Amino acid sequence: MTIVTHVLATTLGVRVLKLTGSDAVLAYAFGVGVDIDHAIKAPFFWRAGLRKERGYYWRTSLQEPVALLWIVPLCFFLGSWIPALFFVIHLAMDYGVSYEKMPWYPYSPVVTQGFLLGVSDKTKEIALMVVLLCTNLLLFLAPL
Amino acid sequence: MYEFAPVLGSALDRGARPVLRFLHVTLGLSPDHVTWGAFGASLVAAALFATGRTGMALAFMAFGQILDGLDGSIARQYGLASEAGRRLDTALDRASEIAIFCGCALGDLVSLKLAVLASIAVLLLTTIVHRSRLDPGIKRFALYFGIWLPYNLIFSVVFLVNLTAYVVGLLIIDLHFQRRMDQLGGDLNTVASRAVRLETP
Repeated sequence: MTIVTHVLATTLGVRVLKLTGSDAVLAYAFGVGVDIDHAIKAPFFWRAGLRKERGYYWRTSLQEPVALLWIVPLCFFLGSWIPALFFVIHLAMDYGVSYEKMPWYPYSPVVTQGFLLGVSDKTKEIALMVVLLCTNLLLFLAPL
Repeated sequence: MYEFAPVLGSALDRGARPVLRFLHVTLGLSPDHVTWGAFGASLVAAALFATGRTGMALAFMAFGQILDGLDGSIARQYGLASEAGRRLDTALDRASEIAIFCGCALGDLVSLKLAVLASIAVLLLTTIVHRSRLDPGIKRFALYFGIWLPYNLIFSVVFLVNLTAYVVGLLIIDLHFQRRMDQLGGDLNTVASRAVRLETP
């Protein structure tokens, strides 16, 4: 999913859970910040000759289920489940679109496209974005 | 032990030649014997930590680490290095660390939670270090600083440093993988699928 959709979902989660301060920072770090790996991959994309294709492997293990191996211990260390919760929301959204993912790399080379493959990515993205935008607006106008 | 600093390793090997000769030629010990000896010293250190004798525990831990350095030196010096020996060394190193960390928790030097978390971080790093080549080396060695610093702080540092090295190591492996995928060229739409072939023995 696009970063805008992730920001909207994380903002909604932050408002619903009434997170503030370091909790809100953790929510955005693990709900949106893990997308930083796309920036890490950008030089590779550049060197590959800017062959702009939808399927370029933009992801790293930073935003795959394998990352739970370090995020869960981190949650215990911090005494907060916010990183795991917002990371799982991020994962669920990404696995709702069809580009290829390697959930367990480097432990397994398995490749998957996620779920809801019968619906086009554009439809899912737009529908989710509209729902999240409306809910955020609603919460902004009538806070919990 | 010094696979990430081969110059240091060979310098130490030269300096320790008389000791290596004594252990291997005079006493007839193989590298594996010394590895097990190092593990035994670590277990004694763990028991001493658990019973509150921290000074003695640190001394035994140091003895174990010296032996841990000598096993590899004997293997290199006498041409006995093997993959099985390296695996045994790594496995017993991790077992030593877990035993010592648990000993510290039993001796109330640190909370059990922190001891377990530090062990998990060290184990996670071990699963990828042969591919990422990134090991900050901050494991049981950090416990010597317990003379000056609180153990809770030291264990927190051990946890965070090893967990960070794990995350960075995963990224390093990913970037190596990406480079190899890009070298495949062709249709990038299927490159992740084709990359499976790169990872399949």
